[in-house]
Amino acid sequence: AYAKFSGAPLTVNTIHNSWRAPKGEVPVLISEDIVISQPAKILNFLRRQKYNADYELSAKQGADTLAYIALLEEKLLPALLHTFWVEAENYCSVTKPWFASRIAFPLSLYLPGKMSREALNRILLTRGGPPLYSLTEVEAQIYRDAKECLNLLSKRLGTSQFFFGDTPTTLDAFVFGFLAPIYKVCFPRVQLQEHLKQLPNLCRFCDDILTCYFRLTLSGHSPAGQDTADANLQKLTQLVNKESNLIEKMDDNLRKSPQHPPRKLTTLKLAVGGEGSPLNRLSP
Amino acid sequence: QQKRTKDFVVMAGADKNWYPTENAFLQMCNLPIRVVCRANAEYMSPSGKVPFIHVGNQVVSELGPIVQFVKAKGHSLSDGLDEVQKAEMKAYMELVNNMLLTAELYLQWCDDVTVEEITHPRYGSPYPWPLNRILSYQKQWEVRRKMKAIGWAGKTLEQVLEDVDQCCQALSQRLGTQPYFFNKQPTELDALVFGHLFTILTTQLTTDELSEKVKNYSNLTAFCRRIEQQYFEGHDKDSSTTVAARSAKRSLLR
Repeated sequence: AYAKFSGAPLTVNTIHNSWRAPKGEVPVLISEDIVISQPAKILNFLRRQKYNADYELSAKQGADTLAYIALLEEKLLPALLHTFWVEAENYCSVTKPWFASRIAFPLSLYLPGKMSREALNRILLTRGGPPLYSLTEVEAQIYRDAKECLNLLSKRLGTSQFFFGDTPTTLDAFVFGFLAPIYKVCFPRVQLQEHLKQLPNLCRFCDDILTCYFRLTLSGHSPAGQDTADANLQKLTQLVNKESNLIEKMDDNLRKSPQHPPRKLTTLKLAVGGEGSPLNRLSP
Repeated sequence: QQKRTKDFVVMAGADKNWYPTENAFLQMCNLPIRVVCRANAEYMSPSGKVPFIHVGNQVVSELGPIVQFVKAKGHSLSDGLDEVQKAEMKAYMELVNNMLLTAELYLQWCDDVTVEEITHPRYGSPYPWPLNRILSYQKQWEVRRKMKAIGWAGKTLEQVLEDVDQCCQALSQRLGTQPYFFNKQPTELDALVFGHLFTILTTQLTTDELSEKVKNYSNLTAFCRRIEQQYFEGHDKDSSTTVAARSAKRSLLR
């Protein structure tokens, strides 16, 4: 999403075998000879290449961005990880088949399980101390925190289109990256999604970005039949990655900004595996 | 004025830490506090963390629950904020916890030089050998596991310092020229930031790089000084002697 917002020319190559990604991590950004993995570093790289969606922001807004990103990582990410990777029904019926179908054999046997264990580990280590002694208590707490975080985001967004006015910025990319999977993926156990649906401005925020930047029409939620699941998976692979995008058209607003002087635009190749980010921080 | 019979007793551990965050917060609420140090404070605390407060027959630990508890008793620093400001405050508190606290932990427990020379002796000081070594190795292992889970284990010291710098820059930009983060009135965010910055500025480590990063931002050091002067200088005679002695030794007015 960030690349879309800042108008960087990207082509997305879906790779099915994460062995081929240079360090085994996805998403990976390849520009000429430089290889970068990890979302935050990719964003920094794009910024240094002058594809900057935050150009219009004041210093204070830049500071706010960092703060809100920290909030998302602390409060929302554990619940997101849990919904995708730890919650047994969700993991077995949606996440595991989805990822396994995109990864080559024999990694498909090993990698989803590993990511699941790492997710649980991360949740327990960061949130599982006393006075919460059992997994159910930790789960209750992280979902409470996540719902509070969604409420805070909703209050901050208010009625504006994006978090800092009319043009999207890094923070919008991060929030979208976290919210879109919750919003769109059809899980059997959906308490976070239900909560999100009660916050209409956040739903509108996701829908706006999807229609403007991803050119996807909003179909209703389909049942998890194999064919429809595949079609959904195609769309959702794009959603879950906040840095990976299909380029159809550059955004006019951002091209007019002074950060885009007429210069030769290098084509950046973005390799994307079946896994999504922000979950990719779990990769070794 | 009525004499308050119920003081807020702040129970601190025996490692001589002053806990500026919680102290500052309670002072800002104008609550009478007494600091008491006990070696088994960590075990008395409901969550295993120090400090915790003990009021009447209730025990509350960690800043978040303490803020809630104090609010339930009718004292709140953030009542004057609107919803958006409250969201912002919570976000900044997470940023501080995310970056500064993790960086402090990293430096204390993952930087080999610091661990050997400072952390192990200090953490193990209340206990006899070999318990001191065992406990500090155990704690070190725990912290390193956590760092690995959140992806900080692979970071070098320079990267950690850069993160701290980024965080301080954000805080400095947010504070600007105002006296407190939300202009005229201090809030729990001010207490939290004061607590961390004060700890960074006054704790002796093997290098000064961490405190230098903070000192680069003059409005942050001025902020710390101002809070220290306003809330802690005048209270020396009321607080226990250990707090006064420590604050005199570790004053920022050098």
